[in-house]
Amino acid sequence: MSARLGELVHRNGGLAGYNYAYMDESAKREVRRGLLKAISLPGHQVPFASREMPVARGWGSGGLQITLSVIEPSDTVKVFDQGSDASMNAIALRDLISRTCEVPTTTDPREATLIQTRHRIPEDPLVEGQVMVFQVPIADPLRRVAPRMTVSRRLHAERDYSAIWLYLYEDHARLGRSSFASAHPVEVEDRYIMTPSPIPRHDCPRLNDAPFISLFGAGREAIVYAVPPYTKVRPLSFEDRPFEIERFATGCALCGATDTYLTEVDGDANAQLVCSDTDRCARRRTR
Amino acid sequence: MKTIPAPAAIEPISVPSGTPCLELRDITVRYGRGCDHCRSGEMRAQRCTHCGSVYGCRDVSLDVWPGEVLGIVGESGSGKSTVLAVSNLDIQPTSGSVKLLGDDVSSAEGKQRRRLRALALGIVYQSAQANLLMDVTAGGNVAERMLGAGWRRYDAVRSRALALHTDMELPEDRFDVPVGMFSGGMRQRVQLAKALATSPPVLLLDEPTSGLDVSVQARILDLIRRIHAEFQLAIVVVSHDLAVIRMLADRLLVMRRGLVVEHGLTDQVLEDPQHPYTQLLVSAQL
Ligand SMILES: Nc1ncnc2c1ncn2[C@@H]1O[C@H](COP(=O)(O)OP(=O)(O)OP(=O)(O)O)[C@@H](O)[C@H]1O
Ligand SMILES: [Mg+2]
Repeated sequence: MSARLGELVHRNGGLAGYNYAYMDESAKREVRRGLLKAISLPGHQVPFASREMPVARGWGSGGLQITLSVIEPSDTVKVFDQGSDASMNAIALRDLISRTCEVPTTTDPREATLIQTRHRIPEDPLVEGQVMVFQVPIADPLRRVAPRMTVSRRLHAERDYSAIWLYLYEDHARLGRSSFASAHPVEVEDRYIMTPSPIPRHDCPRLNDAPFISLFGAGREAIVYAVPPYTKVRPLSFEDRPFEIERFATGCALCGATDTYLTEVDGDANAQLVCSDTDRCARRRTR
Repeated sequence: MKTIPAPAAIEPISVPSGTPCLELRDITVRYGRGCDHCRSGEMRAQRCTHCGSVYGCRDVSLDVWPGEVLGIVGESGSGKSTVLAVSNLDIQPTSGSVKLLGDDVSSAEGKQRRRLRALALGIVYQSAQANLLMDVTAGGNVAERMLGAGWRRYDAVRSRALALHTDMELPEDRFDVPVGMFSGGMRQRVQLAKALATSPPVLLLDEPTSGLDVSVQARILDLIRRIHAEFQLAIVVVSHDLAVIRMLADRLLVMRRGLVVEHGLTDQVLEDPQHPYTQLLVSAQL
């Protein structure tokens, strides 16, 4: 996809024929209008006119439209996918963004002003002024319990969340725990219930009272939503069944970290647990 | 029957004294737009011959006091379920007023309506499918009402749901089983447990026993009588079966084609029916 675009860009001599940041200005303005509303109503899903992007919908087109709408030449961008800067999807998106926006890229989240992500928040603490852009496959946390959008909009409006609480009740009754491995629903500022995109449970508490801005984009569903800095974000849980993050039997097999989110990789002989955030893991090892 | 702890986290709704729990005044429900002909009130047919609008019910008034059971009887299509749906705030009447615990709630919407449904009303439908989630456990179906009322402690929700479950004479080992696997009689028991979950002052029963085997039917009726004796609720029970009404109701409304044709004390109406339709109904039954 983006390789073809790359060819086009080259054939035409740099960016000739393309607007800065690929999207035309009116389309960006439309996305920014949606984002302003989203930031004013933390956790509320705002519809926007999702455009065709040179990536397929479902491959980060929502996040990409946000990134391209808010980016400036002074930004430094990191794009990573399930914790890795080297995945195909991350490479393609990073390539597209850097070419069309003329911005430097980095893998170090501490140097980035804008971080587009799928499934993770960097392990390094982020600071004020940084912007996280999340790629969202399913924007509505009520999708499982109220598949019809007209119904779910009314439920959100009336703050009628008994169905999702029932889902949680059933999890505890049948499994003794919540079944949400990722995308654990969160309550934002005591108002809207929101899906934090498919981040692991490990990352959920990090959205609470965070100094950075979180922007969420679902291209296929044409929805954006946001969590502004220093906003209360509470994973949904019963008062007497506290939310718990993943626990691992060992630390990272590569860097030894015990406070990070680990994933299984197939070693030659047996599977190993290693940091999902590969950049941070590599830095720890070279230090 | 062991006492079930009242849900502490749920602020109980207070029942004012000296007023009926539920009061309907001149309730008309029209399906369709209506026209000058049928709106005038002279036309009493259920379906308007000019515009084709159907009147689910017309100028129905009733009140139910704490501890009282009101029966509504009538043939199929006479408007019984319509009256119950208005009482449960499921549908807004075309005209007339609804008072719940002394407050006019005719135009209650959204949040307020949800709160009233959660705390003031409990309902059992003829078809359990309309009320229960078939792939959710019996406990979950009962818990849903407490969760909807804002209860957020798992153990408390679960233990109250279990207490209601066993109190409705359901086997404890079926508590975590999806109700889709339950028999018709058991589903009605789950509906009753769900209706009672938030200790509402008003209980609405729409044909709670029709479609069940006679023996099962008798046991459910016994249970309803016990619930009534125990909780002193105001109950409205709808049935086309006079035997059910005779067994449960203190007072009785007879409906026909959307209209109330007769009302009074159950014994009186059944002993000495005045309206020809009621006479027919009683004689057909005996
Ligand atoms: N949504 C609707 N649209 C049009 N007509 C309706 C609708 N719901 C009910 N009706 C009509 O209103 C009338 C009263 O219906 P209702 O369901 O209240 O009767 P009922 O006494 O409960 O009957 P049953 O004993 O069969 O349950 C019927 O003629 C019915 O066809
Ligand atoms: Mg009916």
